[in-house]
Amino acid sequence: MVRFKHRYLLCEVVSDDPRCRLSLEDRVLGGLIRDTIARVHGTFGAASCSIGFAVRYLNAYTGVVLLRCRKEFYHLVCSALPFITYLENKGHRYPCFLNTLHVGGTIRTCQKFLIHYNRRQLLILLQNCTDEGERQAIQKSVTRSCLLEERSDEEFSESGEEEAAEAVE
Amino acid sequence: MSNAKERKHAKKMRNQPTNVTLSSGFVADRGTKYHNGGGRHFHQAQKQEPFPGTSRQRQTKMTHHSPVDPDVKEQSSSKIMFKKKGGWKAGPEGMSQEIPKYITASTFAQARAAEISAMLKAVTQKSSNSLVFQTLPRHMRRRAMSHNVKRLPRRLREIAQKEAEKAVHQKKEHSKNKCHKARRCHKNRVLEFNRRQKKNIWLETHIWHAKRFHMVKKWGYCLGERPTVKSHRACYRAMTNRCLLQDLSYYCCLELKGKEEEILKALSPMCSIDAGLTFAAVHCLSGKCQGSVLLYRANRYPREMLGPVTFIWKSERTPSHTSESRQLWIWLHPMLKQDILEELKAACQCVEPIKPTICTPGPLLTTSEEKSQTELPDEKIGKKRKRKDDGENAKPVKKVIGDGTRDPHQPSSWISAATGIIISDLTMEMNRLRLIGPLSHSILTEALKAASVQTEGEDTEKTPHHWWIETCKNPDSVSLHHRQEAIFELLGGITSPAEIPSGTILGLTVGDPRINLPPKRSKVLPNPEKCQDNEKVRQLLLEGVPVDCAHSFIWNQAICKNVTENKISDQDLNRRRSELLVPGSQLVLGPQESKIPILLIQQPGKVTGDDRRGWGSGWDILFPKGWGMAFWIPFIYRGARVGGLKESVMHSQYKRSPDIPGDFPDCPAGVVFAEEQAKNLLEKYKRRPPAKRPNYVKLGTLAPFCCPWEQLAQEWESRVQAQEEPSVASSPSGEDSDSRRDKLPCAPTPENTDLWSDEGGTSLSSCSEPREAMDTECPARVGTEWVACQDATGSLLCVLRSRKWLKQLSTWCGPSSRDKRAARRASGSGEPAPTRAACLPLLERFPRALVWVSLALLRKGSPEPHSMICVPTEEDFLRLRQDQLYCGPQESKHSDPFKSEIRKQKERKKVEKRQNKQAPTEREGLAGGPPAAGHQALTLGLWSGPLPGVTSHCSRVLLGFVTQGDFSMAVGGGEALGFVSLTGLLDMLSTQPAAERGLVLLRAPASPQYRFARIAVEV
Repeated sequence: MVRFKHRYLLCEVVSDDPRCRLSLEDRVLGGLIRDTIARVHGTFGAASCSIGFAVRYLNAYTGVVLLRCRKEFYHLVCSALPFITYLENKGHRYPCFLNTLHVGGTIRTCQKFLIHYNRRQLLILLQNCTDEGERQAIQKSVTRSCLLEERSDEEFSESGEEEAAEAVE
Repeated sequence: MSNAKERKHAKKMRNQPTNVTLSSGFVADRGTKYHNGGGRHFHQAQKQEPFPGTSRQRQTKMTHHSPVDPDVKEQSSSKIMFKKKGGWKAGPEGMSQEIPKYITASTFAQARAAEISAMLKAVTQKSSNSLVFQTLPRHMRRRAMSHNVKRLPRRLREIAQKEAEKAVHQKKEHSKNKCHKARRCHKNRVLEFNRRQKKNIWLETHIWHAKRFHMVKKWGYCLGERPTVKSHRACYRAMTNRCLLQDLSYYCCLELKGKEEEILKALSPMCSIDAGLTFAAVHCLSGKCQGSVLLYRANRYPREMLGPVTFIWKSERTPSHTSESRQLWIWLHPMLKQDILEELKAACQCVEPIKPTICTPGPLLTTSEEKSQTELPDEKIGKKRKRKDDGENAKPVKKVIGDGTRDPHQPSSWISAATGIIISDLTMEMNRLRLIGPLSHSILTEALKAASVQTEGEDTEKTPHHWWIETCKNPDSVSLHHRQEAIFELLGGITSPAEIPSGTILGLTVGDPRINLPPKRSKVLPNPEKCQDNEKVRQLLLEGVPVDCAHSFIWNQAICKNVTENKISDQDLNRRRSELLVPGSQLVLGPQESKIPILLIQQPGKVTGDDRRGWGSGWDILFPKGWGMAFWIPFIYRGARVGGLKESVMHSQYKRSPDIPGDFPDCPAGVVFAEEQAKNLLEKYKRRPPAKRPNYVKLGTLAPFCCPWEQLAQEWESRVQAQEEPSVASSPSGEDSDSRRDKLPCAPTPENTDLWSDEGGTSLSSCSEPREAMDTECPARVGTEWVACQDATGSLLCVLRSRKWLKQLSTWCGPSSRDKRAARRASGSGEPAPTRAACLPLLERFPRALVWVSLALLRKGSPEPHSMICVPTEEDFLRLRQDQLYCGPQESKHSDPFKSEIRKQKERKKVEKRQNKQAPTEREGLAGGPPAAGHQALTLGLWSGPLPGVTSHCSRVLLGFVTQGDFSMAVGGGEALGFVSLTGLLDMLSTQPAAERGLVLLRAPASPQYRFARIAVEV
């Protein structure tokens, strides 16, 4: 097919400071990465990566970030990521780093990977949990995420109706 | 991004997770939370947690909002998580402001779980606008996947199923609930045809025509306009050398029944002797000939024309008692029917409608019962399976014969108590076919055979044709039948229908024409053996058919009905043919054979002018309804070519006869026709881009699609009047006031005007007063007020149809052979030149009249309809005299005053559009600028608004318009027919030199070139 091919980088922002999560916004993060690329790879790197670069998804609670860049230059982005050591927002600096989880060709594969990854994380958490109350809470959320697949059918039919309504409009 | 694009994008991103940041909903709460302790805060935050979710939800979806109790918060939060559109629902938040001492595993887990759910939603549900099938990679696609869900991968099946159920992708419901085979079965086809005939009347040959012709819906009928094959020239050849067949069954027939004197008395005010023969013409009244007459509103002779009709009187079998009830058939075009029927009813005082007893369902039922009885034995043999249990199927579906659109309770006949005349509408009760061309005799005699006379000895009681058996018992009738047959046989030896006296009527009773159908389509050739020149033929050519031979049983309604109902079906006939011992031998039905009464009417061809007299003559055949195809196919199998409406226009054009209704601008049907035509042409014109169509304003064509007859006649009247006034005052200097004479370099000399004033001075002063009185009603300056006074003067326009004056005009138009100077000098004496005095009574009587003229181009060029007929100037004649090959002058380019206006309008529209665009963004309250209404839409290249003076708009003075014009294959040059203003024609003839008298200029609407043509008035 005729299209621009991209690479999607699924990363995790790891930080000791909880306030770091507060200031995690897509614009801030995007600027930060751009600056880092410029710093590491110079003007050429900054220019070649600026085309098609975007932060497609960001979750402050889990720290998951999805970055998009052109396929030709994703090495530049990849190699620049380890050089991020702090997140700066509104004058505050929070030390952090980015952990690359997955590199995919589409958003969809990244999403699929994220599901698997999160499940694995939850299971690990469940195994290592010692507190009874905590354990139950975790179990609940695990079952919830599994239940979703069954519930999603209902969801779909609903959205189908919605679509029909839209079509009527 | 435009609105639609946004919506599309939103739809695409519907299932995708959105960014989740901590700062999104918690800024306001920050202060209060800041004081709380870590452990308690967590709980509070959880209490507050649903709110941002629900509030966001409220924006997208109002239905799932419910206030959440702290007790059920876990469940509700999960619920909300599923329902939410963005996918992500924030987990336990709020701890963000603090720096917690430790990480709780449950919050960590919840956050992960929420993300999983969001991602799951994004992954499992398709988000694009494409179909499921389209999301598959190419190598996984299989044939007919969209048709059969099971060919899709299992994971996509459910989505595809849902997609297929949606209305958009479903195929449209098949309109016919029956399968193809069932639809094609005879019964259902007849039902379907009957249904389709309800709106427009179908002729009996409709199906045949629909397969071969471009069909149009006209005048309430479905008619074939022109063949789909290229056949313009072939049809002309058929008309001249062979035979052209046309189905004229759409012509309407009105029957008048009553005493002869009463009918004649009632009809006499509707026609005038001045315009030709009337209903009382001797040879027509006897029933020997068909007559044609122009009908007017009662006692309004020169004006308020209704239309041309033809009529036949039923011949008297015994001439002794003539005062008895007589029958008159008036045949007319369907477009004229409404007006003429109303006028006839008024003239005959026929107001009482007779209950239509014929059309009641009673007799229909009985006939169908009879039919079913006769068909019962056939069914047993032929049909394999036929459900006979339900009552509906037992009764065969009856084909609609005749007028399918008419309401059975609508009266079709009216009687008058005072005069005893019965008017009945026999539309579609009879078929009328027309054969044009010299071979029509051979085709007729070949295809039709006179019915055999039945003798008593045969088994006559079985046959349904009792009327024929009764007739055969009468020796008088039998001898008449034999005489008719002999004359019909004689016809085969006559080379052309034109040799027979025009309008001759021959009645006949013929056998079933399907019996002796040739196995293959062939072309008949005139049989030279038959062409014998004996006494009988000579007598027939001289005297025509004797009166008593014009008798036919078709005049008897009961017999016609019997013949229609007892027609043996094609299926039966073919079955019997297949049962013959020797295949292909002659089928003998004996007494079972139907006998059909027919009427043959000779149609005169070209009757006017000097050349090609009798061209396009032929025969019309009238026969009862229901027999259309039975006569049609035999004629075609004998080599007749079929023409449509276009061919009949061509026929009338080459005959130089006016076409009905297009060439009757003074009758209401003609006006309607002209309007329709103008509308169609305008639509066609507007379909082209402005650069690819002629700019009629620049060409100086004011009315390219319609002919403003009214305005033309009025302008000529006022023009001539303006010319006369100075001459009455006998002041030579007064000529300057006339614009036309300024243009003409060689205007009439002062002595000439003196001559005029001498000749017509006294009479002119007397006659100008009534004309002026007339002009007070409708002002002389018509240019601007024409539209306003159009209604008041609508009745004034008329077409000159007085035979006496037409003859006079035709002699004036012809070029005189004398020396032009001598002719000019001697214009006062017996030389045929229109003088003022000679014209005056004519002009007085018809102040605003048009004359039907024919034009022949001198050199090349083929005229088009709506071409302009103009008066040539002296200079043109001069150049023509010098150069015999001179084509004609050219019209100079006119300026287009509307162009700038159109451009302005366009700009205004553009500005408005821009304002409208800005309106929603910038100034919502202003409601998008002023409304665009108020000025009419102009079309580039067309004159808009009331027309200015049409006569003097171009460099040559306009005289009239062409209504039909084409390259005539009969003449081998351009020929046109049209109308000119009578006043203008006389004015032109009186000023033209004798050698060039009758020369005019023709200019097509889309061309600046004038071409010379000779004008002729043919009587």
